[in-house]
Amino acid sequence: MISSDPSKVTAICFDRINIPNMHILDVAKKYGAYAFLPTVLQEMDGPKIISEVKTSGLRGRGGAGFPTGLKWSFVPRNTNKPTYLLCNADEGEPGTFKDRDLLRLDPHLLIEGMIMAGFALNVRDAYIYIRGEFLHEANVINAAIAEAYAAGLLGERILGTNYSLDLTVHRGAGAYICGEETALIESLEGRAGRPRFKPPFPAVEGFYQSPTVVNNVESLTTIPAILEHGGNWHSQIGVPNSTGMKIFSVSGHVNKPGNYEVPMGMPLHVLIEEYCGGLQHGDVPKVIIPGGSSTPWLGPEHYDVPMAYDELHKAGSMLGSGAVIIMDETADVVAITRRLSHFYAHESCGQCTPCREGTGWLERVMLRLEAGRCNAQDLVVLEEASRHMDGRTICALAAGAAAPILSLLKMFPDEVRSYLTESKVGGG
Amino acid sequence: MTTLFINDQEVSVPANTSILEACRQHDVDVPYFCYHPELKVAANCRMCLVEIEMNGKRLPNPVASCCTPVNEGMKVRTQTDMLKKDRKMIMEYLLIHHPLDCPVCDQGGDCKLQDYTMEHSTSHGRYLEPKRRTEDKNLGPFVSTCMTRCIHCTRCVRFAEEVSGTGDMGVLNRGDHMRIDSIVEGCLSSELSGNLAELCPVGALLDKPSNNQSRPWELTRHHSTCTQCPQGCDIIIESRDDEVIRIKHDPNGAEAWICDRGRFVYDAFRSNDRLLSPRIAGNDTDWATAIKKSVGILKGKRVGIIFSPFWSVEGLTAIRLMHDAVMHDAQVAFDLHRRDIRAFAFEEGMAMSSAAIEAADEVVILGSDLRQRLPMLMQRLRRRVNKGQTLTRIGAMNYRTNTKLNKDALIRPRDWPAVIASAMQQLMGINKGATGMEAWLKNITDRHEAGKLLADALLADSCALLVGEEIRAHDDAAALIHGIDLLMRATGHGEAGSDGRNLIPEGMNASVLSAVFGDVRVSAGDLLQAAERGELDALMLIGSDPLGDGLFPMEARRVLGKIPLVQVGAIAGEIAKFADVQLPAASYAEVDGTFINMEGVVRMADKPLRSLGEERPLWKVMMRLTDAMGASKTPVVSLPELRTEATRFLPSLADVFAGKIDANWRMPVARNKHATVLPVNVRPVMALDIVSRFSLYREGAWARASALLCEAGKLFCMADVLVHPQTLKDLGLDEGACVIRTASGEYTHHIGVRDDVAQGVLFIAKRGAAGDLSSESVANMRRV
Repeated sequence: MISSDPSKVTAICFDRINIPNMHILDVAKKYGAYAFLPTVLQEMDGPKIISEVKTSGLRGRGGAGFPTGLKWSFVPRNTNKPTYLLCNADEGEPGTFKDRDLLRLDPHLLIEGMIMAGFALNVRDAYIYIRGEFLHEANVINAAIAEAYAAGLLGERILGTNYSLDLTVHRGAGAYICGEETALIESLEGRAGRPRFKPPFPAVEGFYQSPTVVNNVESLTTIPAILEHGGNWHSQIGVPNSTGMKIFSVSGHVNKPGNYEVPMGMPLHVLIEEYCGGLQHGDVPKVIIPGGSSTPWLGPEHYDVPMAYDELHKAGSMLGSGAVIIMDETADVVAITRRLSHFYAHESCGQCTPCREGTGWLERVMLRLEAGRCNAQDLVVLEEASRHMDGRTICALAAGAAAPILSLLKMFPDEVRSYLTESKVGGG
Repeated sequence: MTTLFINDQEVSVPANTSILEACRQHDVDVPYFCYHPELKVAANCRMCLVEIEMNGKRLPNPVASCCTPVNEGMKVRTQTDMLKKDRKMIMEYLLIHHPLDCPVCDQGGDCKLQDYTMEHSTSHGRYLEPKRRTEDKNLGPFVSTCMTRCIHCTRCVRFAEEVSGTGDMGVLNRGDHMRIDSIVEGCLSSELSGNLAELCPVGALLDKPSNNQSRPWELTRHHSTCTQCPQGCDIIIESRDDEVIRIKHDPNGAEAWICDRGRFVYDAFRSNDRLLSPRIAGNDTDWATAIKKSVGILKGKRVGIIFSPFWSVEGLTAIRLMHDAVMHDAQVAFDLHRRDIRAFAFEEGMAMSSAAIEAADEVVILGSDLRQRLPMLMQRLRRRVNKGQTLTRIGAMNYRTNTKLNKDALIRPRDWPAVIASAMQQLMGINKGATGMEAWLKNITDRHEAGKLLADALLADSCALLVGEEIRAHDDAAALIHGIDLLMRATGHGEAGSDGRNLIPEGMNASVLSAVFGDVRVSAGDLLQAAERGELDALMLIGSDPLGDGLFPMEARRVLGKIPLVQVGAIAGEIAKFADVQLPAASYAEVDGTFINMEGVVRMADKPLRSLGEERPLWKVMMRLTDAMGASKTPVVSLPELRTEATRFLPSLADVFAGKIDANWRMPVARNKHATVLPVNVRPVMALDIVSRFSLYREGAWARASALLCEAGKLFCMADVLVHPQTLKDLGLDEGACVIRTASGEYTHHIGVRDDVAQGVLFIAKRGAAGDLSSESVANMRRV
């Protein structure tokens, strides 16, 4: 059970994650799932819920960190159009694997969160857009939804109240870009997943030109606890402006990679040493990617950075989705960057000029660099082509593609130079 | 209005205008590729980046100005060092896969990419890796592709989706594998396909017929008016010396596009079918001899004159002057598409502007293939539907519109009285009747459910009724139009200011024609029949081709060759072989002339193409003939005199010629309040109604003289005669050869089936083997 004393909270989303068979409704109910739902449906209303979520300080866990309550409050009322709630379960950011656990191990927490969010926003139809590769997870969540329908938790008049909600799972087709909320909407509408420019924002004109809220799995699974224990309670966990718990997907050269839910603001080295079993080699990492592969790299001097939005921003990176990738001195940073460039070149949707032409160009130059067939002039190309992709496109994919290369060039100029043709001539 | 600062200059624009549009409106140059004012914003080329400052804070990154709305107090900078670098880099990205083939590319010299390369790019790129390979597509006779040049701006894709409604261009793949592709191989299915070449900012999609013919800087541009349909679009004819290279839309014109008919008819200007010198019995001669011969045929004889409505106002006036001076006994006809010559309660012409029709609460198309007849108006209606507004149609065929119709009813032409009657009854049921309805209804006992669609639409605040050829060509058209007029007046759509009565005319100058010829006109059918009966001694066809066009091909075929014929025109056509004398008249592109389109808007052609032969403006031909026929005085000897004469028939033209009209000036449409023609209740004696197809690629002497349009016509042809499968079943017949029995005889034709024809209708491809059946309105069918 989640403690109502904020100082004693050890987990919110992962509270029940280790209990076997939590995906089965009876088991989930035994451990408190849906227990608070009737209170929400009967005693709360939309404005009250939105105000609680605003108070909680919850920020979107998908990567951008936009305050969830604020996002909800942007949804216009009385537009004569339906409002849609879409759960973004298209978890594709390299290094991120938190939503997958929530989906396969505790799907009822997500369903409960979606009912509450849907109720707050007066949503009749909600969708879970799940990553295509998550076949098992889709099966689990579909089975859970079927159980919830049978138990009267979804569909017409939920638990005998006046609120009705239909929840549908839609599987993606394997495109990273569909994790971007407007590309997700395009894809869900049946078109190719290409991000839309904003404004209009989805809250005003999203799915089928109707008001739409897109929330990450982790954000939605935090909602039940916030409503049960109050926004104030949530706001006291973590640090100011980065409240609550956060699941960090830690991977790379650590001894115990995995998902860890910890209070926000925990210094990185504490997360690594106390939870992840420390580094595989050495005392400090060579590279820290704090928020998924699209975020700029940090060096060993930031090993003690508090894992919070503002602090990471100050350090020159972003919290992103909380996917911490740790590399120690054994890492070949050029090879890793080349691999990341391949990912972005493959996943670019192709609509904006800089991203369409730039990602492929960068990958090809990186391939040459790794093969030792680049000269100093090519590094100028890498730098300039990356810099002019960043922030010049409809979505942030181009910025994500530029981040590793700009980080590489900035942090490891000597290592990069050792790959150049002239360096290879003598030493090999 | 929102006030902002563009490069420190204070400007005001309507709220929610994009920054780019604000810059364009104030002549601030911001480069762009993908933006197009008529298409949805795509924001993908990223060339239009600008820097903005809001509330004293400069944004760290530049924004795309095409998709960023203006904000109060916003500061926009379009020329900064950062933007300079950004633009340079965007150009470098775009030029990665773009070939350096400007010297052999038709776009060269008129190319955004080329211009911006000179302005914003460096002299060489730094891309050393393998380049993308592309495949070219066969998009049909009008658009050629060179996809290596494509910069993926998706203008063509958006055009196909939003404007032409065909969706036959698309985007495949992602990343730098992305490519623009056509979904169908062989032919774009749009009547607007030629616009793709103009739309493409680079040389990827080019005008196929004129490809590799010329360079932009060699061309002279002639502003003219297209007379290929009543819309009368502004066009630019591009020529090199005397050679016509292509026709383009006029960027300063009223419409944003032109149709393929108006664009690709250009090869007819220099085709072998042009009449370039006077001829007698098919042999070239000089003007004096030809005029003398004409006088011999016409002077003192009973003459029938049929002319085409597509001549300029000046040409048409000259015909009337000739008639009055020396041939006042002659019968005159001009409309090959109207059987019923009685006055219509509302005559041909549009009461509303195209923009007003697009914006009306309800739009109802009554019996018209609008996509073929008026492609530009159809395009506007498509845009209307895209915005979520309604469109209703009642007619004999599910004519393809490439858009969604909210309500659609298939009826036979003989059902029109019943449709109008049930609409009247519905209105009278809610006390919305009008005086005259009772009398109109007296003879009509049938009711048709499609009337409800009409009546429902009429109840809206503003309703645009587009009355088409199925009603206008009806045997009892005057009565039907009187009935519709009653409906419109009863629901408040009949007064000036809210007039929604639009009768689609056959050609240009509709309002001029009713004013200048209203008192002397006869039906073209009657005229031809009179000739057949021997009541006429000679025929004069002025640009008219009754064999190829209209509702009287059989009548014309029975007469031509048996009666002396003088042909005056620009295109010889099929008529030529029956003509004793042919007098060449300059085409619409070769005259200084005034044209009034269906909306009553004046279009001036003032920079004519040079004539190649001995043809003269029609008015000069008419005056010379008048002179030679022995007129006591030549009615006019100069264009100003001619124009003064024209104002005698139509006083409002005085302002037009004096240049005193503004852009909003429109010539009103003729109304005949007292044309209270009541319907006759005679049931047709035969089971099937005949409806003729109008194909924009084949209709009109000009189109038939254009090899390009003929080629497209073949691609879009349909079976000679089409019927609904149920019609065949009811008659116990099968697809294939059948005998069609009409009042004039029996004809064997191949019958095709299509389930989008109304049951009980024979749908005739007018230019096919069965074309002459257009003369009939009813028929029976039996086994061979």
